[in-house]
Amino acid sequence: MLAPVAGRQDTTEIRVSPAEVTDVMRTLHDDGAFRFRVLADLCGVDTGEVMQVVYHLWSENSPDWLRVIVDGLPRDDPRVPSMTFMWKGAEWAERETYDMFGITFEGNRDLRRIYMPPDYTSFPLRKDFYLADDAARSPGEGFRHMEQVRPPAAADRPLLTRRSKVQ
Amino acid sequence: MAGQTRVRSLDDPTVFVETPATIYDAIPPYPPRTEREAEFYNLGDGEMLINLGPQHPSTHGVLRVVLKIDGERIVDLDPVLGYLHRGVEKICENGDWHHAISNCDPLEYVASMFSEAMPVLACEKLLDLEVPRRAEYIRVLAWELNRIASHALFMGWIALDLGGLTPILYGFIERDEIVEMLAALTGQRLLFNYLRIGGVNGDLNHEFMSRLGDWMGHAGKRIEDSQNLLNENEIFVRRTKGLGVIDRATALGLCMSGPPLRATGIPYDVRRAHPYSVYPELEFAIPVREEGDSYARYMLHLDEIRQSIHIIDQVLHQMPDGPCMAQIPRLIRPRPGRAFIAIESPRGQYATYAMSDGTDQPFRMRIHDPSYFNLQVMAEIMPGNLIADIMAVMSSLDPIMGGIDK
Repeated sequence: MLAPVAGRQDTTEIRVSPAEVTDVMRTLHDDGAFRFRVLADLCGVDTGEVMQVVYHLWSENSPDWLRVIVDGLPRDDPRVPSMTFMWKGAEWAERETYDMFGITFEGNRDLRRIYMPPDYTSFPLRKDFYLADDAARSPGEGFRHMEQVRPPAAADRPLLTRRSKVQ
Repeated sequence: MAGQTRVRSLDDPTVFVETPATIYDAIPPYPPRTEREAEFYNLGDGEMLINLGPQHPSTHGVLRVVLKIDGERIVDLDPVLGYLHRGVEKICENGDWHHAISNCDPLEYVASMFSEAMPVLACEKLLDLEVPRRAEYIRVLAWELNRIASHALFMGWIALDLGGLTPILYGFIERDEIVEMLAALTGQRLLFNYLRIGGVNGDLNHEFMSRLGDWMGHAGKRIEDSQNLLNENEIFVRRTKGLGVIDRATALGLCMSGPPLRATGIPYDVRRAHPYSVYPELEFAIPVREEGDSYARYMLHLDEIRQSIHIIDQVLHQMPDGPCMAQIPRLIRPRPGRAFIAIESPRGQYATYAMSDGTDQPFRMRIHDPSYFNLQVMAEIMPGNLIADIMAVMSSLDPIMGGIDK
C-alpha cells in the first residue's frame, strides 16, 4: 500500500504498487469478506508525471465502489501485471489502455492495438500528445507535428504537459 | 501462408484442394504481434478466414469480424474495432465540461440520454452539487422513455437479423412515438443534449405531456402486440433458443453487464446495486432469466420495457414542483479530485471515471461502454456454431458501435 485508505462520497480508494497489485486484487476477489466479483472499470491515467492504472470494483458486501490505483508507473516504460487470469474481460480494456497510454500489461496474451491502426506509433491519450489545435496555444509555439512529442527546437525546454494537481 | 493453401473442395467436402492464397486478404500483412494473433492466423487443414464486415447490416455499425471457419462451422473469431474511433475521451479533455455533454451524446446513439449523462453526473459529483428533485425526476422520466425506445428497436433488429421484416416496423412505430415525444421536450430527435450540469435544459412542456399521455394509454397494449408477433414464432424460437448460451461464471469473468448478464441469472442492475438519482424512491423489479441464451435475452428486454412503463407511471405521480436547474456559475471549475459514476443504460453499466485538476476542462474522462465488454463474449460462445447464427447471437447482445469505438 502506497497510501492510507481514503474515502470520499461513495468511493473507497486504495493505492498500491505494481508489484503487489496481483495479490491485492486476488484477495479482494477471492476472500469471503470482500468478494469483489464485478470489475466495473479498468482504465489508465497519465497525470503528466507518472502513469496510473485504475480499477473500480463492486461487491454485494460493500455499499461503496472500490477504487484500486496502481500508482507510480514510470512514463518511459510503464508495466503492470495483467488481470486477465481473474477477469478475462479485462483483456480488451487492457488492450485499449495499451493502445491509448502505452502501458504494458504483463500476462495479457493479446496485447495489440485495438482502436488505432497496427502501424501507429504514438499513444494518443498521453498528456504530451497534442491535438493539432492545441499545439498552437502551447509554450512550444509554432507548428509541431501531432505525433511528435518534442520538436528538436524545444529539446532544451522541459517537457510540456498539463500537470495535474490531483496525484 | 505463402503461396497456396488447402481448403475443402466445394464438390466433395472430404477432398482438400489447393487455392491461391490471394483470397486470404483477412490475414494481416505483418508478422503476428501477440500469442493470440499467432494462434488465430495460423490456419489448420480445411480452415479459412473470411471477413464479416466492416459494412455488414447485422453488425449494427462498422464492425469487422474475422471468422476462422471450417466449412459452415466457426472455429474462432477475432473482432477488429476502431472503424468509428473518434477519440471522444481526448476531445473531452480539450473542451470544457459543458462541451463534454454534446461530445458524449453520439456515443450510444440509440439511447443518447444515457451517454450524455456521463459528464453531467461526473461533474456534479466532483462539485458536490445537489440537483433539484424535479430535475432528478425529469431525468429518470427521460431515461426510462429512452430505454423503452432502445429496447423497442432491439426487438425489431433481432427479428430483422433473423430474416423477419415485420417486427422492425412495429419497433420503429413504438420508437418514433417516444422520439417525437422527446423531441417536443428537448428539441432533438436523436442526440438530445438535454441534461445539464445541475439539472435539465427546460421543464416539461404541454406538447410533451400530451404526447406522453396518449402513449401511456396504449403502451402496455403495444408490448402485447410485439409479443404476439414474435414470442411463439417457430422460426424465431428455433433460431434463438439454446443458441449463444452464456453461463454465470463466463459472464462475470468477462465483465458483462445489462440484459446479457441478467439473462444468465445474475441480478446485477446498477439502479439497485449502487442506486443513483431517485431510483431508491421508485418501486420496480429487476427481471432475471436463467437460461442465458439469445431467447432469454430477448424475453428480458420485454420484461424490462414493462418495468420501465411501471417506473414512468410512478414518476408522473410523484413528480415534485420546483426548479429544474440548480444555481451554478456559468464557468465550472470543480476542485481537483476524482469521481466514478455508473448508471444502467439499456445495454448495461455505463460508467465514467472523471478527474479534475481545478480548471474548467476535465483532466481525464474515461468512458466505460457496456457494449464493448459485452461484445467480447462472441469469441467465447461462437466457436462450433454456424456462420448464420452469428447474426442471431450478436444482435441479441445489442452492441452499439458508436459506444464501442468511442
